Amino acid sequence: MLPPYLWSNLAVLLLFGAGVALGVYLRRNRLWREALSSLVRRRPLAIAALCLYVLVGLLDSVAWVGGPAAGADTVAAHEARSVIDRVFAGTPESSYSAPLATVSFYGAQPLESPRGHLLGTDILGRDVLYRTLKGARVALLIGGLTSLISIPLALLFGVGAGYFGGRLDDAVFFLISTLASMPSLLLLIALIMVMGRSTLSVCVALGITSWIGFARLARAETLKLRELDYVQAARALGVRDRRIVLRHILPNLAHLVVITLVLMFSGLVLSEVILAWLGIGVDGSWGQMIDQARDEFSRDPIIWWNISAAGGALFGLLLAVNFIGDALRDILDPRTLREDA
Amino acid sequence: MARRVVWLLAAIGVVVSGCTNDPYPDADDAHKVYYTAFSEAPRTLDPAVAYTTSSHAITGNILDTLLEYHYLKRPYQLIPGIAEAVPKAEPQPDGSVVYRFRLRPGLVYQDDPCFALGGRGRRSREVVADDIAFELMRLADPLVNSPVTDPFSNIRGFAAFAGRLGALRKQQPDFQQRPLRLQYAAAGGIEGVEVAGPHALRVVLSAPYPQILYWFAMEFTSPVPWEAVAYYDGDGGRDRFEDHPVGSGPYHLAQYEKQFRIVLEANPTWYGVQHPEWAAPGAVYPSEGEAGDARAGLLGPGLSGRSLPFIERIEFHREKESIPRFNKFLQGYYDAQGIIKESFDKVIQNDRLSPEMQARGIVLKKSVSPGVMYLGFNMTDPVIGDPAGARGRKLRQAMSLAIDSKAWVDIFLNGRGVPAQSPIPPGIFGYEPAYQNPYRQVDLPRARALLRAAGYRDGIDPGTGRPLQLHFDTYATSSQQLLEYQFFVKAWREIGVDVRIDATSYNQFQQKVANQAYQIFMWGWQADYPDPENFFFLLTCAMRRSTNGGPNTANFCNPRYDALFNEMRVRGNDARRLVVIRKMRALLENERPWIELFHGEDYTLYHGWLRHVKPFGMSVPMLKYRDLDVRERARLRAAWNQPVLWPAWVLLALVVGVTLPAVLTFFRERQ
Amino acid sequence: MLAFVVRRLFYGFFVVLGVLFLLFILFFAVASPDDIARRALGEKALPQALEVWKVNHGYDKPLWPWQARDNLLADHFRSMLSFDFGRSDADDVPIARRLRQGAGVSLSLTVPIFVLGLGLAVLLSLFVAFFRETYIDTSGVFLCVLAMSVSILLYIVGAQYLVAKLLRWFPISGYDPDLRVVARFLAMPVLVGVLSGVGGDVRFYRTVFVEETSRDYVRTARSKGAGELRVMIFHVLRNGMIPILTRVVLAIPFLFMGALLLESFFGIPGLGSMTVDAINNNDFATLRVMVFIGSLLFVLGQVITDVSYSLVDPRVRLE
Repeated sequence: MLPPYLWSNLAVLLLFGAGVALGVYLRRNRLWREALSSLVRRRPLAIAALCLYVLVGLLDSVAWVGGPAAGADTVAAHEARSVIDRVFAGTPESSYSAPLATVSFYGAQPLESPRGHLLGTDILGRDVLYRTLKGARVALLIGGLTSLISIPLALLFGVGAGYFGGRLDDAVFFLISTLASMPSLLLLIALIMVMGRSTLSVCVALGITSWIGFARLARAETLKLRELDYVQAARALGVRDRRIVLRHILPNLAHLVVITLVLMFSGLVLSEVILAWLGIGVDGSWGQMIDQARDEFSRDPIIWWNISAAGGALFGLLLAVNFIGDALRDILDPRTLREDA
Repeated sequence: MARRVVWLLAAIGVVVSGCTNDPYPDADDAHKVYYTAFSEAPRTLDPAVAYTTSSHAITGNILDTLLEYHYLKRPYQLIPGIAEAVPKAEPQPDGSVVYRFRLRPGLVYQDDPCFALGGRGRRSREVVADDIAFELMRLADPLVNSPVTDPFSNIRGFAAFAGRLGALRKQQPDFQQRPLRLQYAAAGGIEGVEVAGPHALRVVLSAPYPQILYWFAMEFTSPVPWEAVAYYDGDGGRDRFEDHPVGSGPYHLAQYEKQFRIVLEANPTWYGVQHPEWAAPGAVYPSEGEAGDARAGLLGPGLSGRSLPFIERIEFHREKESIPRFNKFLQGYYDAQGIIKESFDKVIQNDRLSPEMQARGIVLKKSVSPGVMYLGFNMTDPVIGDPAGARGRKLRQAMSLAIDSKAWVDIFLNGRGVPAQSPIPPGIFGYEPAYQNPYRQVDLPRARALLRAAGYRDGIDPGTGRPLQLHFDTYATSSQQLLEYQFFVKAWREIGVDVRIDATSYNQFQQKVANQAYQIFMWGWQADYPDPENFFFLLTCAMRRSTNGGPNTANFCNPRYDALFNEMRVRGNDARRLVVIRKMRALLENERPWIELFHGEDYTLYHGWLRHVKPFGMSVPMLKYRDLDVRERARLRAAWNQPVLWPAWVLLALVVGVTLPAVLTFFRERQ
Repeated sequence: MLAFVVRRLFYGFFVVLGVLFLLFILFFAVASPDDIARRALGEKALPQALEVWKVNHGYDKPLWPWQARDNLLADHFRSMLSFDFGRSDADDVPIARRLRQGAGVSLSLTVPIFVLGLGLAVLLSLFVAFFRETYIDTSGVFLCVLAMSVSILLYIVGAQYLVAKLLRWFPISGYDPDLRVVARFLAMPVLVGVLSGVGGDVRFYRTVFVEETSRDYVRTARSKGAGELRVMIFHVLRNGMIPILTRVVLAIPFLFMGALLLESFFGIPGLGSMTVDAINNNDFATLRVMVFIGSLLFVLGQVITDVSYSLVDPRVRLE
């Protein structure tokens, strides 16, 4: 049985692979090619920032056991450590130290690491830059893996309900209404309690509570698409439903999928911050860092580097993603797409 | 257009003038109201059941007890409360011990409609010895489920009474419909509780237990009128008794919305107010104290003998988050507050109150709270407990040597704590400041040597070839508490032991405890009363969680320890007692069921307008002794809380400035 | 129309049943009646006391109908559908009383946030749409995305620090229902609630309004000589409100439930903090009432949304 951290590393690598594969697949279509290059033209900074985050996340996902254990922590040599873990290996300090300081924050004791810490250390003496970088992987997992669970669910139910109508539509409507009228907080807490507090269970729980919005949208769009001339013609000709859905409906939803994926990402990451506040978030996430550090802001003298680093990293990622999503929405507006055709 | 702008500015002006951060109605400024905060709502105010600080903060002010603690004297001393004197133990030839209490005549309960049960139109009555006997029987009543039946089992016939009561209820199905006092009478009452007249109570213990007197200073033994228990049954729109206690104390419960606000008001029928001529010790300000009290303004000719209480009203406001609570204290909206670690450096500089605080007239009072926090090992666990024999013991000793209590206290409590060497805190007999527990000093090489001797060379478990994996069990899942546990994990990793934090929900944690499926945990204990017995009993066989559901969560059981405990228990504070305590300490040193962490120090801040405040330590509220200067408080609050309005104007100017060009362009284009 | 409403309410009834069933399963997957009892009585409770408590509160029965005729699931449905809310498991306070007290408090927080938020968002998005393609538009969109990317937790921490501590305009936390002072306590949570949501709303509304401005009837109006401002207010706003309203009306039922985070941090004793307390205390009795009411309101909200949609847009026909 593979340990949990290896599962999540595999998940990150798989997600990355899936993303690359999707990109390659889309480039074959002229419209998508133009859309993507338009995107890069309009938002170069955001794309560069996102790539940086992805790179950091990948570096933290390549982990292996072995090698010397630097510093006092002798257990670490037996655990799988990633590239980032190894770069930052070393004895932690005893407690807080300010960014670039050479002495500890309280008591002005000399630090274990003579080079100092770029972003300071937290209450347990851990390097803040290190923790911030590790948070990138968690954020990408939360956003990516959850979307991967949520969007297929939404498509399955939404398109099915919209296309087939009738009893299936009623059943799906029933399911959506039931889930929507429960406080999602309750669902999340119950699901996480049942499945245990691991990254995977948090992602699954978030996925289960967030597919509804897109499902409704997919259903509405499918209803419209079903009435299009060529779809009607295909049905009249007796083409199998599955083929129609796969070849006509789904590709026309693709732009919505992409936009939703990007926009849902930020919502999910923000939700995890709330979960961390409730104590059921993912270990090592920026949300957990923020929650642990939120009282530090009120200290006198103020300890600002923890919450600023985590908050800033979170903000940067979401800003990049939101800008990209925004631009995508403008680019992939069906009106502009159709006009080009 | 211009008219609209004028209206807008006027509206802003009105809003701004209402700007204030004062959360209290202005009318209260002239009254002696004491404001304080609570974070956890009290679960119950039933004196037989309430066992938390938040409950005692209220019941301690509403209910009188036979005995009380002297407000100023240290070490703690008992004084008569509603009893006329502190009784002496009277040993009997058959081994039992008798205590005789004389209740003061003329005490009455607060006004309450429940007394109509005893006679139409009655709103109160005298407090009699029967009421205390009634409460003692309630303690024994299995349906009341009091958490302190153990110490009271020393009273002769206590457990037998409970048994008879339970049997009667089972045999006769309608027995339970009868009023409670009739049920108790039918079960024959407690043999060792004899009511010899309206004001005479005789308590017989089956064996010596000198600490029983401390229990008579706690609300568990307050007089409880049967009318209140019968009337407040929760039906017909009436409250339940646990939300509506009826007492004879200096305050009564005026408002009880426990999720939000609790208000106590001075009780006009309290004996201290009705009979100042008695000069009862529990109703007047003391005239003696500790050395240094006079200098601290706690004693003086103007104070001695003055009638209590001074404060008219006490308001408890619910504050779930610590930072808003502390900030409101700084603004003058709470009168006293413990320090939180986030504000520590603003408040304390060089181990003294910072100049900024002093300038505001704030006073700091430190007191070591009689308690202990510890890491416990589950002694029934096969890896770290008794089943692992000497190997397990060495492992525990090694782990104990890795933990630096002082560093933990420095980081998480700003040093507000004394690293603990044994279970006994300062202030309790048996505490010796010079004693150093050899296993509570950090010694990593020795720890590693012990691990090797235990068969875990470099922390590697020979069975798996990987570092020994243990788990730390908790139901605290908040990110901030996890940090506190991660400190320990970090320390143990340095000797090669891999401890995983297993934080689950409360339910799952209880399941783990019930199934003995826990290994290491963090726990604490606050003294109920100032005697070492109240700490050492936590490690006796009879108190084991696994067998009896008791507070011995480490499940420690050692016959030699129990024998020493039984000897120490009944002795007075003499030389022999100290010898026995030292032997017990040495035993615990070696066995290491606990890693003693620290004894907390309370740093409480008081505003300068409070008068003669002395922190007490154990959760015994002494608010009747406090006073405050209302005018000074109002003045300082106003001075500290002037709203800073210029940013609002700046913001407004900015908004106008940014949008003006665009709006002007628009109007220009319209021409 | 009537037939439509009746049919939808009928469906809605089944949704409510489904919610009650789902809640039951979810709750008892993570807790048992013993756990509820232990939470209520405290750790030290003897097993005997737990049994007595369970009998007093009706939890001494098996959970499922196939285990016994008299079971918890049937009780659950029966009491909820007859609106017999009973007493809280944690402290035996009648839930209906708590609901009455908490509803008003929650509404006093969520209604201002809703109204002010909507008003501000519409105003700002109209403003930005009016000045589209100018620096106001681009910076407006930029600010919106900025605002959307900050977690509400950080807004709350920042607001408490800035407004309450540094500027001292309002109390940091607390609540007093006295009408003369209640505004003081609500000002900050309302401010935070509005600010944290305005970013996303303005983005969406702006898109709607900009879309409207490129429509034929607007071009016609302009060519007829109507001023730009008039066009914005009388044509764009009114037609743009349709999609906006449908999105907004769905949120109305949940105004009752209170804003969980805001109530917790600002010490406001409304239904939201009641729900969080119930979750933490294993208080099944209170929790199921909150969820039940939430689902009722949701169903009602759906029906109202559809009906209002058809009233506002004559092209939509309900079937």
